[in-house]
Amino acid sequence: MAEFRLKADATEQSADLLDRARRGDLNALDQLMRLHEKQVLGTALRLLGRMEDAQDAAQETFLRMYKNLGRLSDIQQIRSWLYRVTVNVCNDLHRQRKRRAWEPLSGPDPASGAPDPELAWVHQERGRVVEMGLKALPERERTALVLREVEGLSTREVAEILGSSEVTVRSQICVARAKLKKFTDRYLRKRL
Amino acid sequence: MNCPDWELDSPEFAEHVKTCEECRELEKNAAALRELTIPPAAFAAVRQGVLSEIQAKKRRRLWWILAPVAAAACAAFVMLWGVARPIVPPAPMVAKKDPPKIEWTPRAIHPRSSGRYLAKARPAHGSESIVAVKMLTDDPNVIIIWLVDQKGDSL
Repeated sequence: MAEFRLKADATEQSADLLDRARRGDLNALDQLMRLHEKQVLGTALRLLGRMEDAQDAAQETFLRMYKNLGRLSDIQQIRSWLYRVTVNVCNDLHRQRKRRAWEPLSGPDPASGAPDPELAWVHQERGRVVEMGLKALPERERTALVLREVEGLSTREVAEILGSSEVTVRSQICVARAKLKKFTDRYLRKRL
Repeated sequence: MNCPDWELDSPEFAEHVKTCEECRELEKNAAALRELTIPPAAFAAVRQGVLSEIQAKKRRRLWWILAPVAAAACAAFVMLWGVARPIVPPAPMVAKKDPPKIEWTPRAIHPRSSGRYLAKARPAHGSESIVAVKMLTDDPNVIIIWLVDQKGDSL
């Protein structure tokens, strides 16, 4: 009951934010961005592999959100709409800046208070290798994998965002997982 | 990889992962991807970028609204100024006329004697007569008549 009440309050607050942002209140827009920034910037960073590019993509996504506030009715719709726009913006940006070199993303520092520094280092190394493997995947497979495995969306939601069928998404994810595993196995065996 | 396509947060997958090495690896890869941390400054930079872009757009839009209004106001002012000005009658038109043509004819040169002295009355023979000398001036209306006697006295 309490959970239901909390959810209802959050929805009401979001609706109020949305309404104020539509009327040109930049503070409300700032709040809306704070609500969705992890989703947008996180997805963009995993899809593009560079912080600078991911920030550009996130900025463009939020600007599009501001332009389309009139069409978005509730927060749940904004969430899926933002995923769709983030993926499209990232794909466009990825095609434009294809030749840029891969750069490791910032992960947790292995020496920062971890009980076992060696284990932490291995963990971080895996993170880097997975990022590299992800970068090597084709665009559709990478997007499907990030949306489902990292963002935790259902296959149906991923299919809606990508504009394809659930069967196709399942197949893309399966292939992507296999490729990523092969990549990490080979890489980690060499380095560890 | 012949395992079913699990949803990673499903309880079935949690159970399956305990026995399947391949899926455990898969789970580790997914966890490594999820663990990516983004510094708060990166979020702030994005928000700041969006807000400043929106404000710049608003300024540009305002300019585009104000510029035509200002132009229209200027045009209206110029038109009103033109209407309110006192009407000055147009300057009279003077038809251009060529000056009359003067044909130059050389003046006839007369000998002095014939010009000044038209006639000289000659006295009759043997009589005391008065001589009248008629002198012409430049003005044709003025004629000087000089009367003298034989002795040369003026009368």
